[in-house]
Amino acid sequence: MAQTINTAVTRTDAPRKVTGTATYAADVLPAGMLHGALATSSIAVGTLTSLDTSAAEAEPGVVAVLTHETLPDYKTVKGFYAGGPGSASFWPMEGPEIKYAGQPIAYVVAQTAAAARRGAQLISAEYEVGTPNIHMDPADSFVIGAQGDNKGMVTTKGDIDAGLAEAAQTVDVEYTTPFQHHNPMEMFSATAEWRGDRLTVWMPSQSVRTLRGGIAAAYDLPETSVRVISPFVGGAFGSKAGITPYTMLTIAAAKAVGAPVRLIVTRPQMYTVATFRPESVQKFRLGADANGKLTAFEHIEIAQTSQFDAVVNPGTHITRAMYASPNIHTEQRLARSDTNTGGFMRAPNEMQTFFGLEQAMDELAHKVGVDPVEMRRVNDTDRHPVEDVPFSSRSLMECYDSVSEGFGWQNRTPEPGSMTDGDWLVGYGCATATYPTNILASNARVRMQGTGNAYIELAAHDVGTGSYTIFAQIAAARLGLPVGACDVVMGEADLPVAPLSGGSTTAASAGSAVHDACLRIARMVATEVTARSEGPLAGLDPAQVTLDDGVLRGPGGQSQPLVEALAATAAGEVEAVGEFRHPALTDQLIRATFAGGYGTAGPVTPEFAMFAFGAEMAEVHVHRWTHEIRVPRLHGSFAAGTILNRKTAHSQLMGGMVWGIGSALHEITEVDKPRARFLNANIAEYLIPVNADVREVRVEMLDEQDDYVNPLGVKGIGELGIVGTAAAIANAVHHATGKRLRKLPIRMSDLV
Amino acid sequence: MRNFDYHRPTDIAAAIEAARADGAEILAGGTTMVDLMKIGVWEPQALVDITSLSELEGYDVGSDRITFGALARMAEVGDDDALKTAAPVLTESLWKAASPQLRHAARLGGNILQQTRCPYFRDTAYAQCNKRNPGSGCAALDGGETNLHAILGGSDACVAMYPGDFAQALVAFDAEVTTKGPGGARTIPFADLHVLPGDTPHIETILNRGEIVTGITVPVTGALKASHYLKARDRESYAFASASAAVGLDMDGDTVRDARIAIGGVAAVPWRARAAEDSLKGGPLTEETAREAGRIAFADAVPLEGSEYKIKLGADVVAGALMTAHARATGGE
Repeated sequence: MAQTINTAVTRTDAPRKVTGTATYAADVLPAGMLHGALATSSIAVGTLTSLDTSAAEAEPGVVAVLTHETLPDYKTVKGFYAGGPGSASFWPMEGPEIKYAGQPIAYVVAQTAAAARRGAQLISAEYEVGTPNIHMDPADSFVIGAQGDNKGMVTTKGDIDAGLAEAAQTVDVEYTTPFQHHNPMEMFSATAEWRGDRLTVWMPSQSVRTLRGGIAAAYDLPETSVRVISPFVGGAFGSKAGITPYTMLTIAAAKAVGAPVRLIVTRPQMYTVATFRPESVQKFRLGADANGKLTAFEHIEIAQTSQFDAVVNPGTHITRAMYASPNIHTEQRLARSDTNTGGFMRAPNEMQTFFGLEQAMDELAHKVGVDPVEMRRVNDTDRHPVEDVPFSSRSLMECYDSVSEGFGWQNRTPEPGSMTDGDWLVGYGCATATYPTNILASNARVRMQGTGNAYIELAAHDVGTGSYTIFAQIAAARLGLPVGACDVVMGEADLPVAPLSGGSTTAASAGSAVHDACLRIARMVATEVTARSEGPLAGLDPAQVTLDDGVLRGPGGQSQPLVEALAATAAGEVEAVGEFRHPALTDQLIRATFAGGYGTAGPVTPEFAMFAFGAEMAEVHVHRWTHEIRVPRLHGSFAAGTILNRKTAHSQLMGGMVWGIGSALHEITEVDKPRARFLNANIAEYLIPVNADVREVRVEMLDEQDDYVNPLGVKGIGELGIVGTAAAIANAVHHATGKRLRKLPIRMSDLV
Repeated sequence: MRNFDYHRPTDIAAAIEAARADGAEILAGGTTMVDLMKIGVWEPQALVDITSLSELEGYDVGSDRITFGALARMAEVGDDDALKTAAPVLTESLWKAASPQLRHAARLGGNILQQTRCPYFRDTAYAQCNKRNPGSGCAALDGGETNLHAILGGSDACVAMYPGDFAQALVAFDAEVTTKGPGGARTIPFADLHVLPGDTPHIETILNRGEIVTGITVPVTGALKASHYLKARDRESYAFASASAAVGLDMDGDTVRDARIAIGGVAAVPWRARAAEDSLKGGPLTEETAREAGRIAFADAVPLEGSEYKIKLGADVVAGALMTAHARATGGE
């Protein structure tokens, strides 16, 4: 059987997706299904004083209009950042209180989606209007940790002021990043069907078990009474992780009307009923000696949060791991404003913090007068600068060396504005990328048949990344079967426990459980065939039989393909549940994952610090007449342990880099300050790169072996690609124009 | 979306008759109409679909005039090679607009009547919008975000920006619009079609109820052949102009005989910059005179908070566009 790991395997679900036969959550049609629509608040802060639903109720096709006064009761659950399964801790339509613009105020159920939406347009509300603040006030920030204390949110090593005092050059700079929204292609939807006390919910999700647990808790139901189904997901990026108001309202509406109800959230509503990337301020004070070696490293991140949750995505935990420095100070701070609760958006701790860190390093390199790549080299470290444990593997400079060569970094002339191409100013910039290797417990069930088929089942998700394919590859490689003979079933909460698909963990954690299940199958088959009187392995000690790419091998060179051995057993079929329990996972963390939470060990364990690394280089052109900023070339080299599938991994990394172009130059959720509303809540005006903005994007994946992270040696790659892109582009803009732009996005309006 | 009656007349008289009724609106490509209906901004009682009026299709690139039927599609005109040579500003302002999907659907008659993208106009959660809800105020001017609003031609009642591209080319080159309505047929100078917002921003054109745009005519002039549409936008495609310029030059040796300049992405209506044109006529076209023309084009601009950059950006775009037109006029391109 050919080796299938680390090869380019086409997605097993591709034919279904391109022919429209892949059933997404919103494709189901339970008998008698009705349609829901949300009416949302026009104000951001205040109290609903009256709600006129009569016109909506009179609209043909409208079945019911639910308000905070008529919505069936359920127990609200806490938000993720308060330890619960919700996207936020504040639940709309529990009362007349309004805490953010676009908050659901009524839920219309109708016979058609058009009638429901029209009904929602016809609802008129009156409010007692308060004064909102949509932007945080960074001066009014505070420190809060996950448990409500400051633990781990402030780090001090050495003496930062002394380190700055002894530096040859320092930078003291501040970067800002805006609100951003995920905008997955697949709209948010929920379809709920009650049958007595049994409930089925179809919904695109990154965590079917989180959903099931939270929904069961809300209705005091045993989890066995709740089915949550999410077979395919059309992009999530962190936006489909928790239970959102639209889910709970749809379940309540289905209960109220006694029929299945489906809600498809409109694109503008997607900006307010779920999470987003909070705005942030990144403050850096760095000092370096005459060679560029850091003497001081201070990073204070101030991130926006809602009035009712503390969104802690600690970026300082990542930045402080990057470079050696004798003196380090970091603080993770929050400031509140009047929005719904933010959350995870692709590289939630890293994208905005590395826009700051990697520009600050570039600014310092420029001041010291060293090449930006050399700046990273002199500060590279094989031990975590704060935790003082070695990295399990760290190939940062290998990435820089490789990307430099392919990109032609040596052609860069250091002086800003010194390179041109016709009417275009040309700049080269580079930046480091990293992503922590998070570790979560997982199970997976594999059933193998002697006829040469395998069935892999687990409550994991394919959020468009290729999980269906890589799990099939892992099983195929271990069991000695073709990839096409390995069927993967996922996206149902009733399947064996697998963690939330977030934090770039699915391949590493759930994949390792699939791997373990295959090893268990081999042991079970070996036990049976060695006990038989005939066959190549008969009479051997089963403990000495090993599995090698689908072949069972004895100590004396005896061998038999696993599938053949299995065919020779009495049942001809075997099933095993594999487990991934990394030694760093405590019982408490494992229990948290089993309860539908995010019980992650890492990226730092008592033994190692675990991160994937990469280096990105951007060529930027700025037009002398229009000041337009374009990115003709973007190269990235990445080292992330074992690459399972070179095709899907390439797509993931490239997708991250493309999104990074958007973060750098396009993306911003515009706000109306006086009324605290988002203004460009549509994908015509919320700019993301179009094809013409993405020219040469080159992705290189370096070989890296890491035996500590998990049995497969896999680090996550889902988010790595975006991390360094915005800073690489910003640094290239500086190199092209001499202008240092410390806010995202960078627009031509900044360059006139 | 509100329910509506749908008519698809097959002759123009019937179309006019249906379109003159209260609450009726004309539908062609629908890229603006249907969009605004879905988000509740427009709630017509009836739509009169004129796409069966085949006499309004097609276009003709003649030697002294170029004519477009109102139903000609943006895509077919924008991709026409003969037109590209005869009048580059017309094709460039079309293919640099919207996306391929929209250009295939949208018709020229509707394109010139494109609605503003003012977010306050488009979000019915704002009661305040003098254009959508006359007399209610203007949320943009009431402390709102104004970085994309008009810095030319706005009023105390409305600073919504006209977002189209093709219209800039039409206004620069003295196009005319032909119409048929309850009062018969007429020809309107394109420059007179749109009206400034003043105190009545809900009145956007001089078209009467039931009056249907039937075609557009552009006279062929020396400057049209050496013309250019330069559009500065934050992404390479599918973005509205932050600033744009439709320009053309007719050179007599080193002397500018005729200059045409219109500026987009900055004004309440399609905007001809005649003073800037005059500054060039009779003199040479150099980087210096081009930049001066750009500055003059924005001399009367009133920046709003956050839109100050548009004055410099717009001036640079005018200058850059003139340099390209000059190269075309002198055989440099």
